[in-house]
Amino acid sequence: MTSTTTSPLSGTEPLKSVATRTGGSTRRRIRKDLLRSRVAAWSAVLVIGAFGMAPVYWLLVTALSPTDQAFQFPPKLIPTEITFHNFSALAENDQLLKYLVNSMIVATITAVLSVVVATYMGYSFSKFRYRGRRSLMHLVLASQMFPQALLLVTLYTVFSSFGLLNTYTALVLSFTTFTMPLCVWMLKGIFDTIPDALLEAASIDGASRWRTLHSIVAPLAAPGMIAAGLFAFVRGWNDFIFALTLADKEKQTLPPGLVSTYIGEFQTAWPELMAASLVVSIPVVVAFMFLQRYLVGGMTAGSVKS
Amino acid sequence: MSTAAPPEPAARPRARHGGRLSNGAFALLLTAPGLALFAAIIVYPLVSALFTGFFKQDLRLPGREFVGLENFTYWLDGDFLTILKQTLVFTVGATIVPFVIGFALALALNTGLKGSGFLRGLFLFPWVIPGVVVSFLWMWIFNANYGVLNGILMDTGIIDESVTWLGQPGTAMLAVIITKTWASFPWMMVMLLAGLQTVPKELHEAASMDGAGAVRRFVAVTWPQVRGVASIVLLLEFIWNFQHFDTIYVLTGGGPAGATETFATAVYQSAFKGFDLGRATALGGLWMLLLLVLVAVYLRITERKGDAR
Repeated sequence: MTSTTTSPLSGTEPLKSVATRTGGSTRRRIRKDLLRSRVAAWSAVLVIGAFGMAPVYWLLVTALSPTDQAFQFPPKLIPTEITFHNFSALAENDQLLKYLVNSMIVATITAVLSVVVATYMGYSFSKFRYRGRRSLMHLVLASQMFPQALLLVTLYTVFSSFGLLNTYTALVLSFTTFTMPLCVWMLKGIFDTIPDALLEAASIDGASRWRTLHSIVAPLAAPGMIAAGLFAFVRGWNDFIFALTLADKEKQTLPPGLVSTYIGEFQTAWPELMAASLVVSIPVVVAFMFLQRYLVGGMTAGSVKS
Repeated sequence: MSTAAPPEPAARPRARHGGRLSNGAFALLLTAPGLALFAAIIVYPLVSALFTGFFKQDLRLPGREFVGLENFTYWLDGDFLTILKQTLVFTVGATIVPFVIGFALALALNTGLKGSGFLRGLFLFPWVIPGVVVSFLWMWIFNANYGVLNGILMDTGIIDESVTWLGQPGTAMLAVIITKTWASFPWMMVMLLAGLQTVPKELHEAASMDGAGAVRRFVAVTWPQVRGVASIVLLLEFIWNFQHFDTIYVLTGGGPAGATETFATAVYQSAFKGFDLGRATALGGLWMLLLLVLVAVYLRITERKGDAR
């Protein structure tokens, strides 16, 4: 997908050619049309930009505000005083550091498990034709749409009967319920782009099917596997409901950890919470920067092409 | 794996006899770890949930007692319609509003503005940050005592005194929908922009030459080309919102006075606050039934588009 294609109305060259072919009135009309669409486009960008960016601005401002400034009413839209105290306070909070470590561990294991399992499954869906394949694919696709809150209720009883509550295992397995289907679909798409002829050539050269998959296909699909892994990591990192319910303070991850730390019964420490929120977002934003290409491609590939 | 067996094309479905697995069996073997996981953590819990709805069972205690349809009638005679209505209000609102915003933005960026690539990346920010952070941020913006929204609205004279946006039934649902809208319009923008970019430029040029105005060009040229993407985007977002939990739970917890209670929060509350597993799964079963219809529609549409090859 190209991002900066210019439409014919905005370039000058098509205009000129139009002008030489047709009369002046058409040229005037098209120029007026162009001006109008420019104005409309910029107004939309500005209005939606304000809606989209103002909250992000406010997140930053609050995170950098000393407490007394944050609790002023009406709030100062342009801060007069800036402090990094809210960030340094985070580093001193041992419980938050524990949540952070838990998040890292659980999201990483989730990503690795999802990608390994999904690589085999996606490869099978992409390169083989067999009975029941379509039903399995539909099952995987549909499972992304099962209500998580209901799944959670029964996973809780299952984990409880196996004594797995408050373990990393419970969190990893429950995160896998939504990361694995996603990875299967992403990786199937990646394998679809690898030509069958390559596999046939490998087979003619005497490579077994396992060897073909592990030494020829997997290296080619590696960028896609990394992208799928990052996706799974981000989804695991962001999960709230499973981590909130299946683990206690010892094993909980950051999102529910932030709720129990900051959303108090009486007064919430908003500047610190905003600073913590920024810190939680960092890995996601960084992963996203690496992912952007795959992300837009992956999201749109299936649904745009028909 | 036997090395003596003659090579065969891996991509061809051809059953073989002898020392090696047939391709079909090999393919199934590849899916085995995934299927095992799938059966254990998705299929089994969901199937058992459907049965639990017929029992009286405490979340914390072992043992249960068969009560037939009692749990279902509890909801159907009680809050079911209210919850359904509120779920639909949230779902429709949080689908349509970001769709309109995302579409407007996609159309604007598609006119070839300077730096539209950069803008697209910037606009994705709200969608990228974690859902819980989104909820915290808007909770702070909506804060009744110190919130920036009340500050701005009072400064500009639109309201006279602070509004407790999240604390009163009249505005809580609106606030939740605005929050979810903020988090999801960027995704819709990206998808629709991708759809728009498949529209051949020549079509627009030709229509414009023939004297078609902006509205006419949109209806006759743009819309038919993006209709497919638009329907998938709307349906997916509808399905996701129908079971959305995080934003509502953090912002209002289903309150005030149950005004933002949806299936997701009601199932959660009855299981983990009321400890009534039977009632929770009974409501969950009714909810699943409604979702299945939506998912079937979705599969139909993607199938027709050849997405699931």
